Amino acid sequence: MTNATRPTPSNPIGSVMVVGGGIAGVQAALDLADSGYFVHLIEKSSAIGGVMATLDKTFPTDDCSLCILSPKLVEVGRHLNVQLHTLAEVKSVAGEAGNFKVTVFQKARFIDMEKCIGCGTCAEKCPRKVPDEYNAGLGKRKAAYVKFPQAVPLKYVIDKDHCIYFEKGKCRACEKFCPTQAVNFDDQDREFTLDVGSIILAPGFEPFDPRIYDTYNYAKLPNVVTSMEFERILSASGPFEGHLVRPSDHQEPKKIAWLQCVGSRDINRCDNGYCSSVCCMYAIKQAGIAIEHSGPDLDTTIFFMDMRTPGKDFDKYYERARREKGVRFIRSRVHSIEAVPGTDDLAIQYVTDDGRIAEETFNLVVLSVGLQISKDTLEMAERLGIEIGDGRFAATSPFEPVQTSRSGIYVCGVFQSPKDIPLSVMEASAAAADSAALLAPARNSLTRKPPILSERDVAAEEPRVGVFVCHCGINIAGVIDVAAVADYAETLPSVVYVERNLFTCAQDTQDKMRKVIEDHKLNRIVVAACSPRTHEALFQETLRQAGLNKYLFEMANIRNMGSWVHMNEPEAATEKAKDMVRMAVAKVALQQPLGEIQLNVTKSGLVVGGGIAGMTAALTLADQGYPVTLVERKDVLGGHGRKLYSTWDGQPIAPYLDELINRVIEHPKITVLTNAKIQDVQGFVGNFHTVIDVAGTRKEIDHGVAILAIGAHSLKPNEYGYGQSDRIFLNLDLDKAISERDPRIINARSAVFIQCVGSREPERPYCSRVCCSHSIENALRLKKLDPEMDVYVLYRDIRTFGLRENLYKEARARGVLFIRFDLEKKPDVQVASDGSLTVTVVDHVLQRPIVLKPDILTLASAVVMRAAEADELAKLFKVPLNAEGFFLEAHAKLRPVDFATDGVFVAGLAHYPKPTEECIAQAKAAAARAATVLAKDSILAGGVVALINKDLCCGCQGCVQVCPFGAISYLEQEAKCEVNQALCKGCGTCAATCPSEAITLLGFSHLQIYTQIDEALTA
Amino acid sequence: MAERFEPRILAILCNWCSYAGADLAGVSRFQYPPNVRVIRVMCSGTVSPHHVIHAFQRGADGVLVAGCHIGDCHYLKGNYMTLKRMKFVQELIRFAGYNPERFRLEWISSAEGVKFAEVIRDFTEKVRSLGPAPSFEASPRLAMGL
Amino acid sequence: MKTKVRQLLEEGRVDAFIAYKTVHGLPFPTVFTKADVGVLETWQPFKARYPVTKLLLAQARQNPDKTFGVLVRGCEERSLYELFKWNQLHPDKVVVLGQACPQDLAFYCECPKPYPDHLDYGEAPKPVQESRRLGELHGMPETDRLAWWLGHFNRCIRCYGCRDVCPVCFCTECSLEHKELIPTGKLPPDTSFHLVRAVHMAGRCIDCGLCEETCPSHIPLRALYKHVNSLVEGIFQYKTGVPDGKSPFTMLGEESFLPTGVR
Repeated sequence: MTNATRPTPSNPIGSVMVVGGGIAGVQAALDLADSGYFVHLIEKSSAIGGVMATLDKTFPTDDCSLCILSPKLVEVGRHLNVQLHTLAEVKSVAGEAGNFKVTVFQKARFIDMEKCIGCGTCAEKCPRKVPDEYNAGLGKRKAAYVKFPQAVPLKYVIDKDHCIYFEKGKCRACEKFCPTQAVNFDDQDREFTLDVGSIILAPGFEPFDPRIYDTYNYAKLPNVVTSMEFERILSASGPFEGHLVRPSDHQEPKKIAWLQCVGSRDINRCDNGYCSSVCCMYAIKQAGIAIEHSGPDLDTTIFFMDMRTPGKDFDKYYERARREKGVRFIRSRVHSIEAVPGTDDLAIQYVTDDGRIAEETFNLVVLSVGLQISKDTLEMAERLGIEIGDGRFAATSPFEPVQTSRSGIYVCGVFQSPKDIPLSVMEASAAAADSAALLAPARNSLTRKPPILSERDVAAEEPRVGVFVCHCGINIAGVIDVAAVADYAETLPSVVYVERNLFTCAQDTQDKMRKVIEDHKLNRIVVAACSPRTHEALFQETLRQAGLNKYLFEMANIRNMGSWVHMNEPEAATEKAKDMVRMAVAKVALQQPLGEIQLNVTKSGLVVGGGIAGMTAALTLADQGYPVTLVERKDVLGGHGRKLYSTWDGQPIAPYLDELINRVIEHPKITVLTNAKIQDVQGFVGNFHTVIDVAGTRKEIDHGVAILAIGAHSLKPNEYGYGQSDRIFLNLDLDKAISERDPRIINARSAVFIQCVGSREPERPYCSRVCCSHSIENALRLKKLDPEMDVYVLYRDIRTFGLRENLYKEARARGVLFIRFDLEKKPDVQVASDGSLTVTVVDHVLQRPIVLKPDILTLASAVVMRAAEADELAKLFKVPLNAEGFFLEAHAKLRPVDFATDGVFVAGLAHYPKPTEECIAQAKAAAARAATVLAKDSILAGGVVALINKDLCCGCQGCVQVCPFGAISYLEQEAKCEVNQALCKGCGTCAATCPSEAITLLGFSHLQIYTQIDEALTA
Repeated sequence: MAERFEPRILAILCNWCSYAGADLAGVSRFQYPPNVRVIRVMCSGTVSPHHVIHAFQRGADGVLVAGCHIGDCHYLKGNYMTLKRMKFVQELIRFAGYNPERFRLEWISSAEGVKFAEVIRDFTEKVRSLGPAPSFEASPRLAMGL
Repeated sequence: MKTKVRQLLEEGRVDAFIAYKTVHGLPFPTVFTKADVGVLETWQPFKARYPVTKLLLAQARQNPDKTFGVLVRGCEERSLYELFKWNQLHPDKVVVLGQACPQDLAFYCECPKPYPDHLDYGEAPKPVQESRRLGELHGMPETDRLAWWLGHFNRCIRCYGCRDVCPVCFCTECSLEHKELIPTGKLPPDTSFHLVRAVHMAGRCIDCGLCEETCPSHIPLRALYKHVNSLVEGIFQYKTGVPDGKSPFTMLGEESFLPTGVR
């Protein structure tokens, strides 16, 4: 099956279409564009960012969502090999894998993207207010608008459906005031075709619309809001500027309730039988953030059925909310929400643990709405001819988790199945990997390379600074006396040329700037305009074209931090602008050209661990043409997979595994080393040198990247009588016993499963993610063997996330009995001398002990790391482990398979317990990320990096210890420290640490900072 | 009537969060007093206590250092160092007899344009109320007890 | 002691030993080798103090392969611990003999630990925990302190004696001589001169008091550095002059004062 889905087109096209500009689409686009493929990114709305751009914070780290997303959006916007098509949709796809012809429909924007400078005058002047989708309808935008202030592209759009001119034939205020004549009412919708080798679908989801839950009165009661609306209420950039108030009267709520599973796990009121996988966590997050906003007195209550927090660090997050933040958790599905007469408050009725009906009043109720696939997406799927499966998600197989039914078309993110951000990112990278493998022969055939420009050597010249002061139409000139600023600039030391521009960023001004630099022999440039965050790259490019090193440049942000924030103080704003120009000139005069060095890349990989994840990673890299060494500590490949019986949806593992092993062994690009152990690792990204002990023989290899996939194993419990009777199994043993038709199983009349054995305990405070599904699969298998068998599952929460909820549903339908227990009252297991078992558990509903006498008992034991092995590997590769012994990725949300150390990646159980399809996706993702390194001929190092002046270094190693990226090493011989420019990210933490000030962050030297301080304060 | 005292405030902002938050305040047209002069650094972790001391020596009436929230640092943990150093330097200036309220450390994310404007407003007014910073300037006259 | 040092030198366990020689009736730090160990005098308590570990550091830098022995007081041992931690000396290359300070010296120095951990010679005198000067400063209203400090700082003649005598100042080039940080040609120097040095002393000063003793202008430097160290101890629970730990300013770490939670 792996071969069947991987046809190798003879002459593929080296470009990929990614449909959807949310986090998944963005990740897939960046991975491919960085691996030698040209990407067309199709986004339906006017800007990329998707749902993640609307979230306030992200669990479980409470990162500011937009803050971590925004750099990726900017990267997409600037990437030479990503072409962004906004307001666009896929109409049809012809052709086949490797060679598709895609017809795209693009709506008119009515704003010329070339001309629009994002100043916002059109929106300011537009008289029409429209409910703002970005704020979930809670705020207003104009008919001329930008989706959100950090939008990429930062280009305005006219909403034809609400524009007064299109309605009534007159207005055109935006056109009149636009300083760059960018408004074009004659703009037309258009259709065009693109040739691409593969397609990745990342259309995302729509939040469930709770109006059909009529007893919740969402449509009628303003203080019943959806979780998406609540995100915007919490957000600092939201409709209430981050003040937690309720919609009806803008009062601060004292009591807030969250109702879980609205539009999830429900086939009565809607058709969403699946669990949406993210709502429990986001509700906990929202409750916690709400308390942060309003203080510890805020009463927060989450009504839930099962608390589903089966991800990395999720359970700790839940426990902290419960124990430290005081969030109340009530296990009950709420029937109805009613208005409390005479107030804006809401009454909730629910059934308590002991069966009573209780009523409570809240000021605000948040409906934790589920994720579902939109009608538009389903229609697109139909047009593309891809199969839709259970729950209306794209049909995939656990063994090919990102492959749709149509070859060459891949899927990632929520359209694949409900999931959170890190899993979406992982799948996006996996889809990129599959695309890259499919199109490997065409790698680098369509990508653009930055032109190589010669650079004038200015190191010996005295600074000759040119200052360009931008009017930005009236955005700056309307407040600041730009002429006075320009006149002032002429008086500054080293300044030899000053000019003013209506728009410094305009193409014609840029052409002129190039000429001015050449004519006046300028060797430093200052632009006083907007923000370097949006425009520095543009101006730097002009410098490069004029033969100047791009670092000889500085901006004075006299708009965003000047005219726009001091609109009523023109004189003070003008003085401030002068100060900013003076600071910029002084800084840039001290700036030296910064070099970038090229380091070669060893175009091969090392994969540690020969389980499913390791083998998949190796194959994915090898299929792209990169040689791989696969290191396995045992004498056979297969790892933990050898013990697995089937995937959660019942597909047998063994045949798949055999084929996988065969492919690995026979692959000409893969060298398999068994009985092998890593002994030493030297080097850095692109240039590792590793010593391996292969059954006693020393072997040395060079490689550019490393993927750690060393797996994990099942805990051998020391409780519940494990080991005292051959009738007590672990799930993996039970798999085997069932498949071998073991008499202990065949003759059993009753069976008990105990969940969370060793998981979610103080000693191991994480959920092992796979055990609920595994036990229920086995419970069903027993029921199929003997429908009369009594099967009990003793559990704490059933965590059948996503489509696995079907298993739970089926198990209940087939009569499997589920009995819940608390950590404080764990079941008791007695093994009699004759080997018979007695299990006693306190039933929650009846509050009475129940005594079971099962013939077989299965313990769902935790997935745990082999600590010694992980520890050793972590030290060798300089990567961290978390408190539970799993490898700690660079970022929990957006870099789920990367380490902070470049060139090293993680996949599989060594990252966190997870089911087979996630291991496969993660392995492919790790390979995709690794391929972004291997695709390059050389790595550029340098630019804004730290540099150690060895004459001054005393070798104290403070810098070595504070570097977050392990980029500094201590040279024993010289007793000095040295920065590896390939690993340095340019934060400058070391520069502030060095007691001798021997470290300079190039571009931000101590001297420059002192000088800026001096200039800031000299006026 | 005496002219209102206009404090001179220096702000050192990290590129990824706080400078972006300041940009957003601009995009959102949140108004704040024009007393602040901004220095952009890549990470607040590169701000050394020397920079803060230097600013006071050169006559700053207030110094603000702002970076990403703990956990959000673009460089993973650069701001841990900021937190340590700035906590220390604030206590150092207190001991030297300088009002520690003239120094402020804030975490401002790229989405917190409102917060940036509020911090600047609040800090400017605070420093204004403290009056001009006492001079750090050494003078031999003082040494002689004159 | 003579026997012990001779033994160390003859067995080749140290290449040289830093102890004292009486010159004009005063003990003077001297580097003894096998050749001149004969003139080493028998140990007796004395009150003179020198930056012997700084001498040791200079010797070690010139002779990186050699092992040195050194006779240390409590403060000097503390400075050794710091120099080890800051990777300026290697513990394997230093052999320590320890001497106690006389009680009156301990009183005079207000020394918190007037004897080394390795105490070979003399009786451990009583330590002094309180600093009168610091007590005075802490008792002063915060608003008066700047004038108080400026009154002292203004006497500074920028001789760098505080730095040159400091046993834990090891930089080859000093921040105090960066002209963009501390402008040259100004007397007294900017106040930042003293504050920058205080920054450098935080998490490093071992409270020996040599700086203050050396200062020709009698600037109460020790109080300043003592306080920065107590700040470091208060904020980061880190103590200098002990064998374990690292300055909190030189490691990322998950320090206890950071907000709790998953990061």
